[in-house]
Amino acid sequence: MVLSRLSRVLGPLIVTALVLSASPPGAVDAQGKKLKIGVVYDYTGPLAGGGSELQALGAKIMIDHFIKKGGVEGYQIEALYADAQSKPEVAINEAVRLIEQEKVDMLLGFYSSAQCVPAAARIEQLKKFMWITTCISSAVLENRHLKYVFRAQPSGRQFGLMSTDFLAQNAKTKLGKDPKDLRVAIIHEDGAYGVDVSKGNEEGARKAGFNIVLKEGYAATAPDLASLVTKLKRARPDVILHTGYNPDITLFLRQARELGLRFSALIGHGAGYGVYDKLKESLGKDVNYFFNVDPISIWLTNEKALKPGLAGMIKMVGDEYAKARPGTTIRSAHVGMAASNTYVFMTEVLPRAVKKYGGVDADALRKAALDVDLPEGGTMLGFGVKFEGEGAPMAGQNDRAFPVIVQYVDDTAHVVWPKGQQQREPVLPLPDASPYAAQ
Amino acid sequence: MGIFDVYLLEALINGVLLGGVLALLSLGLNLVFGVIDVVWICYAELIMLGMYAMYFLSRVYHAPMVLAAAICIVTVGVLGVLLHVVVIAPLLGAAPINQLLATGGVLFFLQSAATILFGIEFKNLGVRLPVLKVAGMFISYARLLAFGAALIGMVLVYLFLRRTYTGTAIRAIAQDRQIMTLMGVDSRRIYVITSALGGGLAGLAACLLVLQYDVHPFVGLTFGPITFLICVLGGLGNFGGGFVAAFVFAEIISVGGLYLDLEWGYVFAFAFFIAMMFVRPQGLLARRS
Repeated sequence: MVLSRLSRVLGPLIVTALVLSASPPGAVDAQGKKLKIGVVYDYTGPLAGGGSELQALGAKIMIDHFIKKGGVEGYQIEALYADAQSKPEVAINEAVRLIEQEKVDMLLGFYSSAQCVPAAARIEQLKKFMWITTCISSAVLENRHLKYVFRAQPSGRQFGLMSTDFLAQNAKTKLGKDPKDLRVAIIHEDGAYGVDVSKGNEEGARKAGFNIVLKEGYAATAPDLASLVTKLKRARPDVILHTGYNPDITLFLRQARELGLRFSALIGHGAGYGVYDKLKESLGKDVNYFFNVDPISIWLTNEKALKPGLAGMIKMVGDEYAKARPGTTIRSAHVGMAASNTYVFMTEVLPRAVKKYGGVDADALRKAALDVDLPEGGTMLGFGVKFEGEGAPMAGQNDRAFPVIVQYVDDTAHVVWPKGQQQREPVLPLPDASPYAAQ
Repeated sequence: MGIFDVYLLEALINGVLLGGVLALLSLGLNLVFGVIDVVWICYAELIMLGMYAMYFLSRVYHAPMVLAAAICIVTVGVLGVLLHVVVIAPLLGAAPINQLLATGGVLFFLQSAATILFGIEFKNLGVRLPVLKVAGMFISYARLLAFGAALIGMVLVYLFLRRTYTGTAIRAIAQDRQIMTLMGVDSRRIYVITSALGGGLAGLAACLLVLQYDVHPFVGLTFGPITFLICVLGGLGNFGGGFVAAFVFAEIISVGGLYLDLEWGYVFAFAFFIAMMFVRPQGLLARRS
């Protein structure tokens, strides 16, 4: 009897005390809260092997890292992965399905610009937050005034301008030609990605005064590129600026070799050129001395110049990458790119949205993204982060992102441009040992 | 730049060699349609499996190339028989659309199965054939091989159909399948032989394509539609027509792509196809009735 009365009085008191002691005042609201992220990449179809699957791996490594940590600011993280199947219409359908049926709070990922351009418009229409880790075409953001779409990556135009800047600075000293005498060919896959990079190439080439001897697009699925090779032979370029996926890149280079195309330098612009292992498997040592424009591989950055703590994250990503893909010769920049851009979201955008703007809805995430202000060295990719705001022509674009140029030499990627990041002098023109070397 | 220069000659030669590849691709598909009256929409996927067979035999099990090619041809031939026995035979009396949808279903099945079994990574034989230089022009050895194989394959199939008892039976079935069955020809056996031959030709194409292209589960998308168009342009089931159509198509692509943007070559080729569907809907070499 006494015990029963005692328990009736003390019971509620004990429960209340337990609840209060278990969680600090600020965290009470966040208990049981969850951020559902829809992650969209190509796990099947041609783009998967062309780099998308590696990007997906990078994003997953980082998402899993934060899941293991127990979430961010009291929010558990749940990721739902969807396969865009290398098709724009599937990418849009999956994005809509994730938003409407799976009720995700935001979308992350997207490899192909051809998918990003229409998907961004649809996601914006549904008023959801979209964090792009990869697709680089300017057409995704330029003059579209999207409110909820953000991209930490450099744009395709920047890729194109980087290679022509590199050439302009090295034409005389390395190739012995004044810029006006340098014969440049611009070839590209004809999707949003290739077209945008080629526009940057053309803009930079005209600014530098190069002689553009050929500019042409082709379908990435074309079964034959021999006519393009013959046309290039007729145009006799010193330098070829190439933007493509895979396997169009390997088909082009194989046919170029078979048909005797010669040049002094070839500069690729990401995607297929960023997957060194595949290039090596297809082309063997012929791939030696090719250049590639991409955000820097996180394993090539000068760790001393990075924000404290990032070196540890780079090691973690590398370890997980090695577990997932044992035997990789050169760790692909793709993995680090997606991991770094996902890390920026998890450490800069999400905590700010929760703490400062009270949640994870699209408006809170948007305001938090616009507040991000990281100086150079603030990300694993070496660049800083500051997004262009509403009203700007490229609203949502990271203004501080920049790519670098690496050169593949004997199974090692070396950063050769810009000067500030340079690890070694570029080898230019192609040495005689290369089957593509100009006679 | 002159219109007639060494590069035009090189483009013409490239067109002939590309035509050889396309002719080789269309040979098996035409044979199967001509005899069994069913279009293997999944034909390019059989080639994809053959390319994987070559890759694994050569790169993983280090089999000599000739032995690998022989095993590949036999394997894809067996797959052709399996396709017929499991999918086509039960649908022989069904409406053509059902047969088309069934082989379309096999296409997606094979793509998905290859993705699960082999992964999405591009695989490459890693063979780099020497470069052939003739009179200042460069010619692809791999393409030359495919061209030669297409010619030899065409002649062998022709001789088989004309000079052997089984070949005569195949031609007879192709002409009138009901009557020949009444006259005692075992049509089921003929269908199985034809399917094995069609599969074997897909295997032969795989052996040669793997020298030029990376293999991945979706490589069939690169060749499938164009192979089908060539067969239709030549007249489905008409070997000679398919052979000629392959070279006409390839030359339009090659020369058109030299003087205009590469994509225009394809635009002209497809425009030609559409025009011919109005002018000669039965195929380039079909006899006028």
